[in-house]
Amino acid sequence: MYSIQNLEDKESKEEAKEEDAYLKVTDLVTNFYTSRGIVKALDKISFSINKGEIFGMVGESGCGKSVTALSIMDLVPDPPGRVVSGKVEIDGFNIFSDLANIVRIRIKSQTDVKVKRNKRALKKHNFMLSKIRGKKAGMIFQEPSLSLNPVLRAGEQITENILIHNKKPIADSLINRANLSLDDLKHLVEEVQKNKENVRSILNEWCRSNALVDLETQINSIFRNYSDPAEIESEIVSLIKAGLTSVDKRSLIEARDYYSYIEKAENLQLSLYAAEEGSDRELISSIEKELEQLRLKEGTRYRFYSIKRIFTGRKVERVFKAEAERRAKEILSLVSLPDPERIMRSFPHELSGGMQQRVMIAIALASDPKLLIADEPTTALDVTTQAQILRLLRNLNKLVGASILFITHDLAVIAEMCHRVAVMYAGNIVEVGEVLEIFDSPKHPYTVGLLGAIPTTQAKTDAGVNMHTIPGSVPNLITPPSGCRFHPRCSFVMPVCSQSKPKLVELETGRKVACFLYSSEVDD
Amino acid sequence: MVQETVVRNEGQLQPKRHSRFENANSTFRLFLKNRLAMVGLVITVIYFAIAVLDSVYPQWLGVSNLSTALNFIPGHSANLALPTAPSFSGSWWFWLGTTYSRIPILPVVLGALRIDLAYTVLIVFVGMSVGVIVGSIAGYFGGIVDEIVMRVTDVFFSLPFFVFALAIVYVLGFSFTNVVLALMIIWWPTYARLSRGLALETKSLKYVEASRASGASNFRILVSHIIPNVLSPVYVQISLDLGSVIQLFAAIFFLVGSLGASAYPIEIGYMISTGESYLAQGIWWPVIIPSLFLLVFTVAVNLMGDGLRDVLDPKLRR
Amino acid sequence: MELRFFIIRRLLLIIPTLIGLTIIVFVLMWSLPHTFLASAFINPKAPNRAQQIINAENALGLNQGIVLGYLHYLGNTFTGNWGYMTLSNPIKYSGTVLSGIGLFFPNTIQLVIFAAVLSILISIPLGTYIGARPNSLADHLGRIFSLSFYAIPVFVLAIVFQVIFGQGVIAGNPLGIFPISGTFTITSQIAISPPSWLISGVGGVVLSKPTHLIVFDALIAGDYSLASNAFMHLVLPVLVLTLSLLAGILRFLRASMVDAANSEYVKTARSKGVPEGKVIKLHMRRNALIPTVTVLGLLFASLLGGVVLIEDVFDYPGIGYLALSTILSGSIFGVLGTTFLFGIVLISANLLVDIAYAILDPRIRY
Repeated sequence: MYSIQNLEDKESKEEAKEEDAYLKVTDLVTNFYTSRGIVKALDKISFSINKGEIFGMVGESGCGKSVTALSIMDLVPDPPGRVVSGKVEIDGFNIFSDLANIVRIRIKSQTDVKVKRNKRALKKHNFMLSKIRGKKAGMIFQEPSLSLNPVLRAGEQITENILIHNKKPIADSLINRANLSLDDLKHLVEEVQKNKENVRSILNEWCRSNALVDLETQINSIFRNYSDPAEIESEIVSLIKAGLTSVDKRSLIEARDYYSYIEKAENLQLSLYAAEEGSDRELISSIEKELEQLRLKEGTRYRFYSIKRIFTGRKVERVFKAEAERRAKEILSLVSLPDPERIMRSFPHELSGGMQQRVMIAIALASDPKLLIADEPTTALDVTTQAQILRLLRNLNKLVGASILFITHDLAVIAEMCHRVAVMYAGNIVEVGEVLEIFDSPKHPYTVGLLGAIPTTQAKTDAGVNMHTIPGSVPNLITPPSGCRFHPRCSFVMPVCSQSKPKLVELETGRKVACFLYSSEVDD
Repeated sequence: MVQETVVRNEGQLQPKRHSRFENANSTFRLFLKNRLAMVGLVITVIYFAIAVLDSVYPQWLGVSNLSTALNFIPGHSANLALPTAPSFSGSWWFWLGTTYSRIPILPVVLGALRIDLAYTVLIVFVGMSVGVIVGSIAGYFGGIVDEIVMRVTDVFFSLPFFVFALAIVYVLGFSFTNVVLALMIIWWPTYARLSRGLALETKSLKYVEASRASGASNFRILVSHIIPNVLSPVYVQISLDLGSVIQLFAAIFFLVGSLGASAYPIEIGYMISTGESYLAQGIWWPVIIPSLFLLVFTVAVNLMGDGLRDVLDPKLRR
Repeated sequence: MELRFFIIRRLLLIIPTLIGLTIIVFVLMWSLPHTFLASAFINPKAPNRAQQIINAENALGLNQGIVLGYLHYLGNTFTGNWGYMTLSNPIKYSGTVLSGIGLFFPNTIQLVIFAAVLSILISIPLGTYIGARPNSLADHLGRIFSLSFYAIPVFVLAIVFQVIFGQGVIAGNPLGIFPISGTFTITSQIAISPPSWLISGVGGVVLSKPTHLIVFDALIAGDYSLASNAFMHLVLPVLVLTLSLLAGILRFLRASMVDAANSEYVKTARSKGVPEGKVIKLHMRRNALIPTVTVLGLLFASLLGGVVLIEDVFDYPGIGYLALSTILSGSIFGVLGTTFLFGIVLISANLLVDIAYAILDPRIRY
């Protein structure tokens, strides 16, 4: 699935346009309507993550890091939480375009808030999200032991993700495999025998021409592990034709056509949502027309297919499942889990914490998303496992080319992992910048305090005190301080700080700070 | 991060003494906000107020010197005319109509509530006390004690409690006291199971270990740590059980009545059974009205119990 | 550990429970006067009564102390020597306890199977639906429904239904289409020449071949009018039992669905893009069923209590009605026998519940 050659290509491309934002969050506001009052958990936060980047997010517990992660996927538990306004664009697609339609919030008093949900809009919204979640962004949670479904085998939980998003690619690949003739294969083996130095490039070319790129790594390893040509041949045949004998090509093609119709229709539906956000009537109507045409032209053909599938499609589905399991095993070895066979069959409670978290990462990676949201992925693990998981995530970032939003309260981890970092305080982003710059010259007083709180051996000898702390504690977000939320604890506090909220302004390229010490711009 | 560091510096071996009360205070406030639970609480309180009033000042209903109450026994020929319908024109006694032998329903039901509630509370309280003590000891000491208690409760859980209660009553001889005794015998294992599980959990908590390390005796740990921790889910169970036990109690006396035996003092299930034969003639109140009193009480304690569980379970707190 | 081993271990655990059950029933017996026990154990009409009583004393081990007495009791129980009972009110029956139980038990099985299957079939989809939509209108209605049927005493429900839907209770009632007592109408034709699959049992109870469940036997024999007649007799008792069990299951399933909805793994499922319907059915319900199944045992115990009450109200010749008759007729071995049988039924039900639990929850197999 992830061929090495491909990744190298990708990386070079990635460097070319590094400024491309894969995730763009603008003015995101999330509230929790609790019985004690409205918790303003996120107060208009904005940031963006570029393709292939590891973006850190750091702050004290309760500052809204996890809420940010959940809000990006609209996974905030509702009730009591709700994304109220703002934009989250993943790969250019704003998942909150229809936010105004979904919920109406009437605030009578702090403790009495009526949230009215529009069921139809919500259904549409959920459909749209199910196309984004998992496919464009995957999520890794804090507690792997709680986040894995205890009653489903690890394998089922990974294949579930693959089968949701990859029916059509799987069908394509199955058909390609069914099309492959044995002569072609013999030819390949002969060629490899003749030219042993260039195995990789020959294989690569052969896989491309036969549209079998997703099997390249496995074919490659067969060549590495076996030497006898006949043996190699039979191994490859059993890999490629596995499960295909039980199903005829016609029903495979039928399934492929059906799924490609579904995919087309879904994509059109998604672009319709995207278009509805803007007010370009022409665009909307043209997409609507296209969708209608597609439904007229192809939809009628497949109207009975979904029923037919229940009775005759079992075999095809079984082949799909087998292929999904093959891919799942591949992903499990990608996250460095030994013996994927056994892991697939295990229930979560039979795995150690580190293994559970790897399974969790495998689940997130299963549909090859280009963004991973990791919400304190190592907090619940012991120290040695922590290091392994961190290394794994960093390698995956290089190997798969996925951007990572890395959320943690541990500055040391940030320093080790991330390219850029955002510092959060009480629902606000107070500073953003390159990791090294932030560590070298923190600008915001809170960042300064946070960095000062790291215990170092040096500080002990210097001042006789082993740790600096920031006076006071995280404010109650039901009644947050006016103006800059940090001002009651800030040692540089000025009169303006309690009156208005500083804007996150760009000081130099890629460096943003929200503090009146650096700029007098006010956020309204 | 900063905050976590600070907390760690303070050290948290023993929970702060005042925190439990703070917690109780906020729990209570949350409970007050739950409207349904409050309705349940108010209704329950009203029921108990009636029962207490009736036992402290028995003359208020006048049932105790109601000579016809004795005629409540089936086969008594005092007055075999049909019951009269609810009517607000006469004395308040007849507001809810009359039942068998023209006995006024309202004062008799109110009087019966005292019997039902008093015995229900007695059964639940004794069952709870025995169960909590046995369960906590089993959970705390573990080993052979635990094994024995678990097996004994297993046996009790495999007894269909209604049939078993009837069998006990049969062997001991039918009387109010024996019914109560039978229900006590079958009711404690629920609490033993519940508190045993909770005691096991509590036992491994840090502060209990710390307390043991500092030389506290087993008895002291049980009394000051284990049992208080076990209690809050037990409150929920008590609340729900008040409903189950009163129903069971009434069911036994319903059977007694419908099979033609007599029961005195008067009980609600027994009242329902005496009205049963009138239903076919369209005379509904002798059955429906006492049933409603039972139904409302069961609903009320269940609402209260659900509300209590919501506020006591931190997972559900918002 | 595999499921197989769990089941074996669970089966072994039945032994101490069974011993406990026999001890309790034995203690109930032993606490009564021994002369009374000996005379109750035998057929009162048997010739040579004095000798019979001496035989009974020996069979029960009445003069051999409590330990040997218990061992005798165990032996008698497991060899099927459950004593003799003479019932007069309301069932008229005279014979051994075990054969009496054999006569009445199938009817109760029929009742309980219908009620259990029906309530599970209804409650699971319904509980899933309302549990997935907390605080919606459907949820409020569902909660009101389940709480009220949970709180209505089952005997009140039975007598009220009997009046409203009972045949001939209120003259001219269009709803009154269901017979209110017995298992089927014995027409004069049946009385004169019963079909070969009907065996007339003792005391007016009619047994059927081969399953002993009359509705199914009539269907097997092809007598559809009798099958529908027997079925109509079942409707009201089954309905009452179903409603009370349904309310209980629904309450727990709804609560555990809400718990499951707040769990982390549901968040994970959503983060994968699992469609909402599948999140509810696969991820939430699979987990919510686990705590629900654990209370099923308790609910079943109260269902058995309900069986006694309902059989009383509907004069339904089942094991609960038999138990009541034994008490009213003062037949001690009848009382002990039915109590023991109820215990066995509940032990088996708990066994099934635990196995279902282990199948649903892979963690418990350890």
